[in-house]
Amino acid sequence: MRLPDRLEKLRQLFFGDIVRTFGWTSLLLLLLLAVAPAKHFFADWHRYQRGYERLISKRSDAVTLRRHFEPGIQQIWLPEMGVVDRCTTCHSALKETTLKDVTTQPYRPHPVIPHKPEEMGCSICHRGQGAATSVEEAHKSTLAWEEPLLPAKYLESSCGQCHQQDLKGTPQLNLGRQMLSQYGCVHCHTIKRPDGSVITGTDDPPSLAHIADKTTREWIYAWLKDPQAYSTTATMPNFRLSDDDARDISAFLTSSSTPASLKVVQASLDEAKKVKDNAALQTKAASLYGESFCASCHAVQNAAGNLVGGNVGPELTKIGSKAKPEWLQAWVRNPHDYDPPTGMPHYRFTDQEVGELTGFLLAKTDADLLANVHLEAPTPDQIAHGKRLVNDYGCASCHEINGIKRPENFAPELTKIGSKPVNQLAFAPGVPHTLYDYIGAKVKQPRAFGPSLKMPQYTFNAAQIDALVNALLSHDERALTMPAAKTVPALPVSHYEPAGKAGQLINDLNCFECHTINGRGGDMAPDLTWEGSSVQREWLVQFFRNPNTLRPALIRRMPKFNLTDAEINTLTDYIMTVYQSPKIDRDSMPLAGYAPGQVELGKQLYYSKYGCQACHIIDTKQDKGYIGPTLTHVGSRLTAAWIYGWMKDPSMLRPGTQEPKRNMSDEDARALTAFLMSQKGSEKQEAKKR
Amino acid sequence: MTTFNKYFDELRETKVWRSVFRGGTGKSTLRNSMAIQQNVFLHLLSTKVRKRMLEFNATWYLGTLTLGTFGILVITGILLMLYYHPSVPQAYADTKDLQFVVSSGQFLRNLHRWSAHAMVFLVFAHMFRVFYRGAYRPPREFNWVIGVVLLLVTLLLSYTGYLLPWDQLAFWAITVGSNIASAVPLMGDKVRFLMLGGHFVNANALLRFYVLHCMILPLAALFFVAIHFWRIRKDGGLYARHSEPDVVMTTAPARPPL
Repeated sequence: MRLPDRLEKLRQLFFGDIVRTFGWTSLLLLLLLAVAPAKHFFADWHRYQRGYERLISKRSDAVTLRRHFEPGIQQIWLPEMGVVDRCTTCHSALKETTLKDVTTQPYRPHPVIPHKPEEMGCSICHRGQGAATSVEEAHKSTLAWEEPLLPAKYLESSCGQCHQQDLKGTPQLNLGRQMLSQYGCVHCHTIKRPDGSVITGTDDPPSLAHIADKTTREWIYAWLKDPQAYSTTATMPNFRLSDDDARDISAFLTSSSTPASLKVVQASLDEAKKVKDNAALQTKAASLYGESFCASCHAVQNAAGNLVGGNVGPELTKIGSKAKPEWLQAWVRNPHDYDPPTGMPHYRFTDQEVGELTGFLLAKTDADLLANVHLEAPTPDQIAHGKRLVNDYGCASCHEINGIKRPENFAPELTKIGSKPVNQLAFAPGVPHTLYDYIGAKVKQPRAFGPSLKMPQYTFNAAQIDALVNALLSHDERALTMPAAKTVPALPVSHYEPAGKAGQLINDLNCFECHTINGRGGDMAPDLTWEGSSVQREWLVQFFRNPNTLRPALIRRMPKFNLTDAEINTLTDYIMTVYQSPKIDRDSMPLAGYAPGQVELGKQLYYSKYGCQACHIIDTKQDKGYIGPTLTHVGSRLTAAWIYGWMKDPSMLRPGTQEPKRNMSDEDARALTAFLMSQKGSEKQEAKKR
Repeated sequence: MTTFNKYFDELRETKVWRSVFRGGTGKSTLRNSMAIQQNVFLHLLSTKVRKRMLEFNATWYLGTLTLGTFGILVITGILLMLYYHPSVPQAYADTKDLQFVVSSGQFLRNLHRWSAHAMVFLVFAHMFRVFYRGAYRPPREFNWVIGVVLLLVTLLLSYTGYLLPWDQLAFWAITVGSNIASAVPLMGDKVRFLMLGGHFVNANALLRFYVLHCMILPLAALFFVAIHFWRIRKDGGLYARHSEPDVVMTTAPARPPL
């Protein structure tokens, strides 16, 4: 039979008459309809649930696991948070701790976290499309869902949606939040927390109102071109300015600068000149620099190229190429003269000491830094152009500049950046189309998104960029709409101001840079809120006169401010009177006169029952503990009532302390107090001190 | 066949059948006509149809297929209504639920969606067929007008249904569509306000479109479809070129000129 004939026969069979046509078409449609239930049956989640049943059937605790397992679509529904998460449909073993060895997804148990899945759901932390029941839709970015699963390295951002305070488990988020303030991001970008408070900067960018007194135009030019060439730790970003632009901005800044009232002492200047070029005097000055604990805040690069010192103040490796001698000696004498709100304390140095330190610092130069900078006197056009550039780049967002108003909202607000729709973003070539990749790429190299963009170039490493992405992702719509009961607001900012003459002194010495009092201040040194209940007046006076080291493990120490007796008295009186804990009555227990039996009992408890020597030193020959303060003189330092209260519940007196709560009986606490109060140091040392 | 016919005839003689169907029994042409005429559903159709008019070539079945898609849309639409809340936070979640958790929910949605597209296509095809065959001519000119109304109802059904998933596509399509309406001279803004129940596409617009899509427009469609079918019968059954053209095209108007 020829092919056309066969085809004709087939046609006759199926569509020969209307009844056949109707019959066969109906059958065909029925088959097509069967696709729908078939697709349902072969759905991803069905497959994974069958796989899970196979997996657990081979295990020893199969019966228990099967009892926990519920087939069918599972969901966590939390209407007040807008959560409908069906992830547990496939991730059946999230809570099965006995499946710890299983590493294949979707059957891996969830790592231990402080929240239960049924309290929070999954998508609040992991993002993705919680309602979806297919692999692609749940995890990836699709046409109808722009929020893919967060990579593990950005998961901490989700904690930040509710937790506005730092958490122990989120180092990246904490670092990122700190960086937002520390690198001045928030000077240009407004970021509001869910409670409405605005994140403020902690970088304290210097005022440029008197910049010409402080440094030269050549240094400004070199700094503008590449801040990190002067100091690798500089927070100032690189604006990628052309030579002409840097020339004109430096011209404008020096010409707009007004003179500051600096106290110039010729004797100090002469001494500085002497010290600067004399190796022997340099060594002497270096020991003054060390004794004053300048390195607690300032770092200097050593010969090996490593930074040594704190990061509270600016790095001083090349300070001699920057600072003018007149300015530097005035700054060392009293920094508040030039910059009243500065964090640098006012040391009471003599003119001689001021000269020594100034000379020591002026010797720290880098010949290469300004070698190739040759600037002609500026023309009015250049100055005008510089002013325009200063406005264009928003310099006044951070710095106070004469004649320039601080711009409001210079850069886009980032309060909701963590939920910005991907379709509203303009991606640079090569950047994957996800929000977190966008933020990361933008922070890493802002100008890659367009040469005309103003955002400057920072020198962040990969970990820092991830930290920033974490911090920024946490500022999203969900954080703003989270029910108040679920959120942990940021610690309220304390505006505590100590009163009177002592208050002036405390501000002059910038105690708050290191110590916290009543919620205000830094965390470098102990909290002093209850210091008056804690220490004995005599000890405090001695400590101000000559601060000795309490904690052997610490490098950063209390500097000696060279206070006068009158100043020490003022401060001590204020501390002993005002900084008293309502929970401790300083005079309720005697400072001495404890029965020898009780002291002996305390000693036994100290060394055997409580093993205090693990962290503290009393016998300098045998004890090795160096985590807590040395206790050799504790009997002349602390009050007995404080020690007793401390033994009973340390975190009640100082929240967050490392000292563990040991649930001591009253007798034990009293005996230990007696023992510790007997530790008054050797007679010889006491005599020497007096 | 004969056995089946015998049983069927016997069934038609039973008391219950006779109480339900008024047509009566018998094989005469009158009886057959009455079976159609006296049935509330069937009386819309012609009592008699030429056999060759039922062939595919006569009409390409375009009108019937349109009715078929409409039927599918009504059935799937009612099923979809069981899962859908026309409220702002819920609407999108419900469409997601249809996709992810309702058994064959995605199939239901797709069936509704593709049938809607097919219906629009079929309506146009139907109209082209009628137009190019000249089947709109008297005495069928009013039925053509009804057909145009039905086209509008179909398009409005499509348009109102577009908003209901409440996704970005829906939102912006209706935003653009309602802005077009506001371009009407003098009363444009009022028209838009009436459509949306506000100045923006929001909860009120969603509710209005839902009521239009599920209530008002389907009822309107049903009403006009009934008239459409009834007029086919009254205007002389399905139009076939060979049955009438000469009369229509060559004779003088039936009504003498005034």
